Amino acid sequence: MGASSSPKLSGMQKQVLSLYRGFLRAARSKSAEDRHKIESIVSGEFRRNSKQVDRKNFLYIEYLLRRGQKQLDQLKSPDTVGLSSLNVSVSETIDPKP
Amino acid sequence: MATVSATSVSFGASLKPCFNNNRKTDGTSALNMVRVVWTKNVYSSLRTSRFNVCCSAKPETVQKVCEIVKKQLALSDETELTPESKFAALGADSLDTVEIVMGLEEEFDISVEEESSQNITTVQEAADLIEKLVQKKEG
Repeated sequence: MGASSSPKLSGMQKQVLSLYRGFLRAARSKSAEDRHKIESIVSGEFRRNSKQVDRKNFLYIEYLLRRGQKQLDQLKSPDTVGLSSLNVSVSETIDPKP
Repeated sequence: MATVSATSVSFGASLKPCFNNNRKTDGTSALNMVRVVWTKNVYSSLRTSRFNVCCSAKPETVQKVCEIVKKQLALSDETELTPESKFAALGADSLDTVEIVMGLEEEFDISVEEESSQNITTVQEAADLIEKLVQKKEG
């Protein structure tokens, strides 16, 4: 890596970061309390996916990007005040057999 | 660059006076080239810092950027932050970097374009960009 070279980001990574930026920007227009909530949900979601989703799983990432964009469009509307997430933990059925 | 020699010479002296000097000079003159380099030398309980003056953002800006970066990354106060510190080296991923830039935008009331925000990797680069944007806003 050179002196000022930043890690080169792929187009898809840029899209993801841009979406994240969009969410944080949209959150600014909400009330302080809602904003905080939105930020923590959004950041949690992005971080979770960044760890769980295989970086080569382009189809799924594209799906997530589209879904995120739609959610962002909804969030941007002034009528939308907040964001909530439902956490359904699916108990994984672990196959004991090898 | 005059300040460079002045500070370099006095680097054996204690930290505080030389720090204050620097600040005052930059505040009054339009000195546009300030780089702050901390060197940590611990002689028993004495800490000496050296300031190297030669780049483009004001120390106040650099200081503010450092604070925001620390807050954003939840670093302890003792963490050494130099203008050359890479965000990545401080444990920031690209999402953290976005958050840092957003935090800076709010603090300085500027709007950083997407393209340039992706090129920010160090405190110095952030401070330089902020100065540029703030000047553009005022000018």
